[in-house]
Parts: sequence; structure tokens; C-alpha cells
Amino acid sequence: MFIQFLADTWLLWILLSIGGLLWWSGRASQYFNYVFRRYLLALMTLLLVSGIVFSLMEVMPGDCAEKYIAYKNTQGEIITQADIQAERVRMGLDKSLPERWGRWITNLTLRGDLGFSCAKRQTVNLALGNRFWVSFMFCIAGLIFSYLIAVPFGIFSAFTINKPWVEKNPQYSKMEKLFSTVLLSLQKILDLLLRIISYLGLALPNFLLALTIILLYVFAGEPMPTGLFSDQWRNVPWFGNNGFEVEKLYDFLSHIWLPIFVIGWSATALQLQTVRALVVDESNKLYVDAARARGVEGVSLWVGYPVRHSISPLFNSIGFDFQRIFNDLPIVAIVIGLTDSAALLIEALAMTSDQELAAAILFLVALVVISMNFITDVVLAAVDPRVRKSVLGNG
Amino acid sequence: MSVILARFGRKSKQKKNDESYYTAGQLALIKGRFKKKKSGVIAAWVLGTLVFMGFFAPFFSPIDPTIRGADADYRRGAPQVLHFWDENGFSARPFSYTYTKEKSKIDIKTLMSGGLDALDAFISSGALSSSSQNKFNVDKNERRDIQFFVQGWEYSLLDLSVGELDLDIRWDRHLFGVDQGQIHLMGTDEDGKDIFSRTLHAIWVTLSIAIVALVVKLFTSLLVGGISGYFGGRIDTVLMSITEAVRVIPAIPIYLACAVALAQFDLTPIQRYFAIAVIIGALDFATLARRLRTHILTERNQDYILAAQLCGSSTWRIIWRHLIPSFSSYIIVDTLINFPYVILAETSLSFLGLGLTEPVNSLGVLLQKAQDPDIQQNMVWQFFPLLVFVFMIMAFVFVGDALRDAADPYSEKK
Amino acid sequence: MIINNSNRKNLLEIRDLSIDFNTDEGIVHAVDNLSLSIRPGEVMGLVGGSGSGKSITAKSIMRMAPNNAIIQPASKITLNYQDQAVNVLKLRGRDLRLVRGGAVSMIFQEPMASFAPAIRISDQIIQTMQIHLGYSKDQARREGIALFERVGIVDPEKRFDQYVFELSGGMRQRAMIAMALSTKPKLLIADEPTTALDVTIQAQVLDLMMELREQFGMAMLFITHDLGVVSKIADNVTVMQCGKVVEVGSADQVLYQPKHSYTKCLLDALPHLDNLPEAPTHTPEPLLSITNLSISYPISVSGRKTELFKAVNNISLDLPKGQIIGLVGESGSGKTSLGKAMLGAAPISSGTVEYHHTKKKVKFGAGKAIKRKRLARTAQLVFQDPYSSLNPRMTVRDIIAEPLEAMKLTKNREETDRRVIEVAKRCHIEVEHLRRFPHAFSGGQRQRISIARALVCDPQFIVADEAVAALDVSIQDEILKLLKELKEELGLTILFISHDLSVIANLCDWVCVMKQGEIVEQGSVRQIFLDPQQAYTQKLISSIPLLTTPGKSVQGATVLKHSA
Repeated sequence: MFIQFLADTWLLWILLSIGGLLWWSGRASQYFNYVFRRYLLALMTLLLVSGIVFSLMEVMPGDCAEKYIAYKNTQGEIITQADIQAERVRMGLDKSLPERWGRWITNLTLRGDLGFSCAKRQTVNLALGNRFWVSFMFCIAGLIFSYLIAVPFGIFSAFTINKPWVEKNPQYSKMEKLFSTVLLSLQKILDLLLRIISYLGLALPNFLLALTIILLYVFAGEPMPTGLFSDQWRNVPWFGNNGFEVEKLYDFLSHIWLPIFVIGWSATALQLQTVRALVVDESNKLYVDAARARGVEGVSLWVGYPVRHSISPLFNSIGFDFQRIFNDLPIVAIVIGLTDSAALLIEALAMTSDQELAAAILFLVALVVISMNFITDVVLAAVDPRVRKSVLGNG
Repeated sequence: MSVILARFGRKSKQKKNDESYYTAGQLALIKGRFKKKKSGVIAAWVLGTLVFMGFFAPFFSPIDPTIRGADADYRRGAPQVLHFWDENGFSARPFSYTYTKEKSKIDIKTLMSGGLDALDAFISSGALSSSSQNKFNVDKNERRDIQFFVQGWEYSLLDLSVGELDLDIRWDRHLFGVDQGQIHLMGTDEDGKDIFSRTLHAIWVTLSIAIVALVVKLFTSLLVGGISGYFGGRIDTVLMSITEAVRVIPAIPIYLACAVALAQFDLTPIQRYFAIAVIIGALDFATLARRLRTHILTERNQDYILAAQLCGSSTWRIIWRHLIPSFSSYIIVDTLINFPYVILAETSLSFLGLGLTEPVNSLGVLLQKAQDPDIQQNMVWQFFPLLVFVFMIMAFVFVGDALRDAADPYSEKK
Repeated sequence: MIINNSNRKNLLEIRDLSIDFNTDEGIVHAVDNLSLSIRPGEVMGLVGGSGSGKSITAKSIMRMAPNNAIIQPASKITLNYQDQAVNVLKLRGRDLRLVRGGAVSMIFQEPMASFAPAIRISDQIIQTMQIHLGYSKDQARREGIALFERVGIVDPEKRFDQYVFELSGGMRQRAMIAMALSTKPKLLIADEPTTALDVTIQAQVLDLMMELREQFGMAMLFITHDLGVVSKIADNVTVMQCGKVVEVGSADQVLYQPKHSYTKCLLDALPHLDNLPEAPTHTPEPLLSITNLSISYPISVSGRKTELFKAVNNISLDLPKGQIIGLVGESGSGKTSLGKAMLGAAPISSGTVEYHHTKKKVKFGAGKAIKRKRLARTAQLVFQDPYSSLNPRMTVRDIIAEPLEAMKLTKNREETDRRVIEVAKRCHIEVEHLRRFPHAFSGGQRQRISIARALVCDPQFIVADEAVAALDVSIQDEILKLLKELKEELGLTILFISHDLSVIANLCDWVCVMKQGEIVEQGSVRQIFLDPQQAYTQKLISSIPLLTTPGKSVQGATVLKHSA
């Protein structure tokens, strides 16, 4: 009985105990006080998001009862208007929007129950299952990809700003000037290239990039690596009779690069610009000059000063970068044939108009973004003294 | 060398003393700074040309892009290249050739008579496979010369009819065409519609959606950001938390949901088109509204606003004379920078088949077709709109970037 | 003082230094044929207004000139280090460390901005020592803390590991000095090290620098615009104007027998305590009375909680009519809040402000609404920042006409134009310039526009909030002259708020001294500067960097007596 009660309300207890713990710590420490307030804010935003998502789904045509009845209809049963009405009452669809939203949010906060998918005829939690994690991992992989490329190249690009194409210092000898000019020009050309790529990232959005890649494959006359596995490996378990299937891993890797590259593409381009702008901003500050005047130079100057100081704002944007990547995911998923939650989202929205499933997916994405924002804010407040000062006061 | 330098110095000094520099308003200053950025100026020209061609698309396109203008004899046809010379000699007037469709070699009669062998032969000849459907014979001896300002289908050059006022300028001249038959610079699609003409028409459709969307977006952002920033306090808190919540939800799925919701209404293409623009605009307010709010907050604390207050200016006067001008240039720049994003939103929607649909010409509709494996394999020229799209967005980005740098009012402060 | 007159080699020798800037508007000559030499242990004062090329000279010694600067080939900078003449301009790569911290160190004007905000001060100092002296981390740490103690930082162990924003202004500059000294340089370049500091802290820092210079025996290149500061610290002085050296010589020579007009102009800006105006025989009637005025701002302590910060605490004050009243105080003393409260632009929590002799009654205070238009016709403000106080999107004519148009004081446009032109002439703004936009003007001209705007509706009272703080000395002088002129011609009452005592001494008739939201002392200029009663005022007055010569230091002596 008690166990059953706990099992039905487990999520609420977790949320409450986290909140309680933070509140208790917050009485003594200013930092935890901030974390506690930030936690409440995140929950508030989540509530708002769920409200927006839920009411948005209301504008979609049809409701679950109609679909269910239509489904039964195909099974050969004869249905009357009264049956539909009865089904509606059974599903609670005759209640007002706030009431249904209230029930949905209560179920969610009590035990993480995301509702019922009418098109799939199963609970949303089951219907989503692994697929959400697949998309999540995709977005994270795309995110990591974009950061891995954008951060070093963005820093390099920033490094070349304010540098001339030609060395003009009249104090240098001719050879020195020539050498220096060649070096500078090389840097500037690479910078120009990076900037064009970063603009292309906007002009050639992910789905068009995917199309272009497909076109290239067509020209090359090779089959396009769609999906995550080739047909021969799709149903082979990871651990077969001969132990771990290394071949399957190869196959997986040869397929996975494409979606990750495509998904990360626009984010990389955008990130290149952001990193560049951030580092340039920092490198124009007086403290960099002051450090240079103390003899700090080269890598230790760049990494130790401007780059180090632009990490925080960069880190801070992770949540929205994730959101941006997921934003593109549905279209990309269609173009390169993935079957993850993004594809499911399109299906739910565009084809089956499965409101609760679509709402659940959107809500989960928002949940990820909000938690990421929460984590970055809290971590930064602990790590970066500037942020700490601005959120905690001078304490 | 130093003489040249010295002259340079003096020249620049003279330039500085020029009265026009001092009496130049903010817009003139922005223009001056913008002109110094070469990449921006080049991009502006490219963009201007594209937009101009898009706006007067009927004039620039040789063929009616609708089904009326479809060339039944040249379906799935490859781009027709313009030549200046061939083995038959040189011509100052560029020309292309006459293309005739290859007749299928099957004999209907034998098929009718039921010969299985004939059917076998017919299938194995490959006449049914799609790649063989666009085989054309080129008759190099029959040139089609390019003519300028040719007469063609009638179109409305500029439609200024508002209510009672009937000001519809109609014309039937086109920039170029051929003397006989038709010219397909970028080939045709499966209906025989000219890709080049369709693309030109699509530019303006897409742009006009973007403009409508941006106007709506501006309006919502100004409303939310302005109220939030000017009044502050509790209103600010509420508005900003809603904005934050909207910002967190991925945008394209929301557009999708709205587009699906639209589908249940019976809308004409025009209504649908405006509805989509309004949705895109209305839901995209979060970022700009937040920026406007911060802008108002910082601008409100500037000394000159306090100065105006101490001069006895009323609140409305301050808003009207000081605050609104202070971010008008900013808004213009931001709008331009946002063009690509809004265009992308439209294209994404149409790409998924939920925005505009055939037979409307929009870049998204044209791009959506490129998903078709048939087109990827047999009609690569249908990727032409993609090229135009990339060019246009690139131009927008470059112009926006240059303008953003130029519009910073304090860049010459110290 | 160590005045090194021996014939030993110069430590630093600059010959024919010419620097051009490649800007959007073409080539700008920043420094023109500058020659300068510094002997070991000598303190050279480099004096000049902004844009005179003094900072870029210092930067080029450290090879830190910006990328668009072109150092002409004829220029030479030689550093004699360990009996070797090093051509500084030819140094490359790692060798640059010699002038960047090794033999030459630099103190910047803004200590807050010169320390990386997210790195502990300790780490920055330790890194510097490791680069130049090859110390181990522990050794560098010990030395660093010792240095912190040496520069007079209280609780050095704790401060050493803090971030720069956790220190107070004076502490920051001390930490900056410790940082500069950590590499044991032979030459210390100090670029306006005390300009941003309050006058009492400035005096402390100057004393500290003198002391350290004797202990370390290093030479110093002291860059400033303030001859008073130079007189306290420099052995020799070089005066620069527009990239050219206009006067060189020993400190005594330059300060007491100036030859060039620019030097004289700089000297005029110093307070002339022996030449203060006599107090008027009868006190004029008050123009405005402040009774029991308090001003509180809500400040956020942490997150949602807000507390009231009392900027001004229960002040009662009468301002005499037709005089220039100086309001002096260190930063944070509440002087600006008080000034703004008189114009109804600060949150008054209790007390009232009342103007006398106005056509209609002007009185406001806690719980009493301000009649904005009546007040605006009586009292106006001249701002500190000549840039942000003028709307960049309006022409000068529109800016000046703003009060007339906002309050509809004129009948038509012609009358507005007439009054604008009238007031522009009075403020020495050329009439043709009225069509221009503010971006076309320099700081001094902008301040004239600001004054013209304040005057156009014929107010009786003007608050000038640090109105000349952002300006160069020679331009300061013009604006001050203008203010005096206006007082005499229009019978204007001016409240002049400033932290700069020299300006107050040269301008004002009556002075109020503020400290932590309270008026400590008030009196005529003579009383305050020559016979201050309160300990705080005495300390303040004694901190003014005055010219002190053995023969003429009557005032200096009295000042010193009080400070002891």
C-alpha cells in the first residue's frame, strides 16, 4: 500500500527533496540560496512551457476519442455519435482545457507520466522509449562536434583580427618583413575561409546540406548511408556468438558521421562566429595589454587571458545551442531517414496529429534546455568569480 | 613615399573639415561607414539585383511559370545552353538550338496485336525508365536566336490597385526570349514549367512572406519589449518569464503545429500564405523583444534622457523624440539580419510540405522537390533554386553584418 | 631626493621618435620627433593633455603600440641594460620580455581593468615572477606577499588570493604597483596612476611611490596631466602638446620659470591659494533652502532582497544667491545625489527643497509632487559626461531648443530660433554650427552645448555635476571662464560639484564639504582652503598636490601643520 503510494508519486518526492535540500543549505550559504532560487525559477519556467505546449496542441484538429473510434471503425464496428461522446467522457476530453492540463501536469510531476498516445495506442513513455535518448544523443554528439570544431578555429580566427595583411614595421629588415608578411597573409586567408564557412552555415542550412551531400553521393554513384546501420547489421546484436561485434561498430561509425556532421553543421558555423566575437571582445580589453606588458606572450597569453575569460559566456549558451540543434533535427531526420523522436515528432504533428505525444516531445526538449541552463548557471556561479559577484552580490 | 603620405594626411584633413560630415545625420553616417566595407557593398549589389529581378520577375522571365506556360514538348528538359559560335559560324547574338523530343521506338501496333516479344523488347529498351524520358534531339542547324524585349504573355508589372483606385500597370514585354519556340535557361520540370522563371518568381514570394513575417515580428517584439522595458516591475517579470518559456521551445515544431492547425481551415493559397507569414512572425518575438527590452533599459538610463526629463519634456515626448529614434536604426539593422532566419523558417515549412505547396512558386516549394530521388538522379538542374537561395542568404548575411558594424552610433565616439 | 647628476649613461634614450596612426580618416601624426632621456634612478614627469601623445610614447617603449601605429624608421629607442645598449625597436620574440616586465614595468591608469577579472591576483603576480625571475611557485608566493606588505596592503596574505574586484580603489592601485615591482624593473612607467583616485588616496599612493623608488633605486617615467602631482614627485619634466615636446627641464625650472605658454596654462589650472577671493562682506540672501533632506536608493543585497542605501543623510543647507557654490567630496560622499535632488531627479526620502524668489512657488520634497515644468524653468543641470548627455540623433539646434519646445515657452519657430542663437552666442558656439550633429564636436564644445541647453529657458540656478572632469586642463579653463562670465552677466547661481579641489579653489565663492552623505563643513573659499576647521577638511586640503617652493610655501606650511 505504502510502496504503491510511493511508486505513484516518486517524481514529486525527488523534486521536493531536492528543493528541500537546497532550501536547507541556502539558509546558511548565499550560494545555495541562489541555487535554490534558480531551481524554483527553472520549475516555474517548466510549468509555463507545459502550459504553452499544451494549449498549442489544442489548436490541432481532431481529438483522441475521434481517432480511437475511427480506429475501431476500421475494425468493422459500427459507431454512432453517442459512442464518440461516451469515449470522450471516458478519456476525460469533455473537461475544459485547464482541467486537462492540470491532470496532465499532476500525473507528470507525480510519476513522470507523459500521457497517452492515441495514434500509437500506448502510453507516451512507452512510445518514446529509446527514441528520445537516440535523439538526445544525436544532439549531444552534434553539440560536441560543433564545439570541437568551432572553439579552436574560432579562437584562431579571433587571433588574426586587427592584424594587417602586410608587415609594415619600418624597423624590420627586408627579409624579416617578407617572412612576416607571408605568415600574416596565410593567417588572414585561413581566417577569411573560416568566415565564409561560418556564413555558409546560415545560407546552407542543415537540410539543404543533407540534400547536397545526397546529390554528391548520386554523382559518385554510391548508395547513400542512410539510417544508422546497413541492412545486414541492423538486426545483429552487439554481442553475438563471437563476442563483441567489431564489424557492427565499424558499420555504425560509417553511418553515424553523416547525421552528426549534418546536425552539427549550422551550429558549428554559428558557434564559430560567437567564439570569434567573444574572444575578440575580450582580447581588446585592457587586462590583456597589461598581461602583455608583463611579458606574458604567445599561447599562455591567449589561452590564459582572453580565451579563459570567454569560456563562461560560451558555456552559458549550451542550453540554447542544444535547442537550436534539436530545432533542425526533424527536417534532417526526414532527409537522411532517421527514426528517432524527432521523426516521431513530425509524424505526430503532421500525419497522425497525436497531440499528447507531440506535446510530450516538445516538453522533454524544453526540459533538457531548461535543465542545461540551470546547470550552467549554477556551475558558473560556483566557478567564475565575475558571475558569482553579479548573482550573489559582493559576498 | 613620405610625400604621398603627407598628401594623404592633408587630404583626409580637408575631408574632415567638410561641412557635410558635420551636418550628416545618423543615417548618412551609417551610409558613409557602410560604404567603407567592400564585402558589404558587393553583397548589397548582389542582393539588390536579386531582389529587383524577383520583384519584376515577370519581366525578367521569358516564360510564364504557371502551368499555362508549361512547355509540353520539353518536359524534364535539360538547361539549354546559350552559344555564340558553333561549327556553323559565329553570331554576335547568342543562340540556342531547337530541341525535339526523341520519339519512343515502340510500335504501338505490334503491342496492340499482343506480341509478347514486342512487349519484352519494349521493356528492355529502357523506354519506361525515367532517365530515358528526357532524351532530346538537338538540331544544330536550327538556331533559336535570343531576342530582347520580346512580346509574350501579358502580366501585371506593378499592381497598385487599392480599393476604388485601379492602378494596375500591365505589360507584355519580356527582357529576352527566342524568336520561335521557347528558351529554358535552367531546364524544365516534369510538367514542362521553366525552372528559371519559376525561381525568379519564387524569390519575391519568399521575400514577401519574410517581409510580412518581419513586420508582424517587429510589432509583437516592440509591444512586448517596449512594455516590459518601459514599465518594468511586475509586468516586466511576467512578460519576460513568458518570453523565456517561448524561447526554450524549439521553433520549427511550433510552426509545424500551427501549420497543421491551419490545414483544417479551407484557405485559399493567398490566405494560407499570409497566415503562415503571420505565424512565423508572431512566434519569433522572443529574442528581439528581449533585446529591445535591454536596449530600452540601458537607453533609459542614458544621461540625455535624464536631460530631457529635466528640461520638462513629457513622457510621450521622451518616447517619441528620444527613445524611438534611438533604436530605429537598430531595429532596421536587426530586421535585415533576421531576414535569412525568417526565410529559412518559411523554406523549412514548405520543405516539409506544410507551408506553401505546389503550384505556388516559393523557394521552399522548389527546394522540397529536390528531395525526390528522381530529381536527384535525372534532373540535377532542379537544384538551381538552391543555388539562388544560398546566394541570396549569403548576400543578406554579408549586408546585415556590414550594416550592424556601421550602425553602431558610438563607434566614432573616442 | 636622489637627483642623479653624474655623467653615467642614460638608462633610456629616445631619439627622434615619430609615430603615425593609420586611421580611417587617413594618417594622423601622434608623436613628432620626440627625444627624451632618463638616467638611472631619475623620475621624469611627462606632462600633457589627452591626445598629446604621451601614452603612445610610453607604449612604444614597451613595444605595445597598436597595430595601426607606424613608427618612423628614423626613430630610436635605446635601453642601457647591464652595460649593453639594446635597440628596443628591433627586439623580437622572446627578447621583448626585456622591455615587457624585465627591465621596464608599467602601472596603468585603471587598476580595475588591468587585472584579469576572473584570475586571482596572486596567480597573475606569480606568473609574472616565474617568467622573469624563474622563481618556484612557493618562492614567488612568498615574495609576492612580502611585496604586498611592502606596498602597504593590510592583511596581505588574504588580499593576495583575492580577485581584483574584491579590493577597494586604493588597494587596487597598490596591488598594481606591487605587480609592477615584482620583476624588479630598472624603469617604472606610470601612466596617470593616480588620476582615477580620490585626492586623499592619491596623496598616499604618491608618497608610497616616492618611498619605493628610493628603496628600489629605479627610474620612473611618470605620465600625468597634473603639474601639481609632478611637482611632488619628478626630478625633471617634459611637457608635450600635440605630439611635440614644448618644454624640457628640471622640475624647478619648468614649474617656476615656465617659458612656453602651454606650460603656463597648465600651471594656471593649479589652485592659487595665495590669491583666493575675499569673502563678501555680507552674506547674500539664500536662493534655495534645503531642510532635513535625506536621499535613499534601493540596492539589491542578494537576489530579491533589497535594502535602502542612504546616499544623503538629513542635510539642511542654504545656497546663497548669485554665487558659485562648490560642493566637494570624495567618490561615494553623496554629492551628486544631493545635486540631483535639488533638481528633483533623486529619490527624496524625507525633507524638502524650496526655491525662493520664483514667479510661482517651487517647493518639493518627500511626499510632495514635483511641478516639473516650474522647476525646469528655475533650475537646470550640466552633466559630467559630454558624450552621453547629448542625444546623438539630434542637431545642436534641436538639443538647445529642447526645453523651449518641450515646455512650449515660445510662440513660434522664429522666436525659438532667436533664443537659441542668442544663447549659443553667449556660450561662444558659432551659429553655423547649430546645424551640426553632436558627433562633430570635441568634449569642450559639447559641454558648451550642454550649458547652452541649460541656459536657454533663463533659469536662476544651475547644477554643474563634475562638468569639467572629463576635459583637458586648457579646455577646463575655458569652460570655467564661461561659467564665471555667466554668473557675472546673468546673476546666475551655480552649484559646482567636483572632486577636484583645484578647480573649486579657482572657481567658487562658497564651498561645502561632504563626507558620507553629510555636510562636514561649509564656508567661503578662503575659510575652507586656508583655515579649515574640521579634521576631515584639513586632511582633504593637505592632500592637494600643490606647488611647494621653499620661498613661497606659506600656505603649504600651514597645510602641513594641520596634516601632521
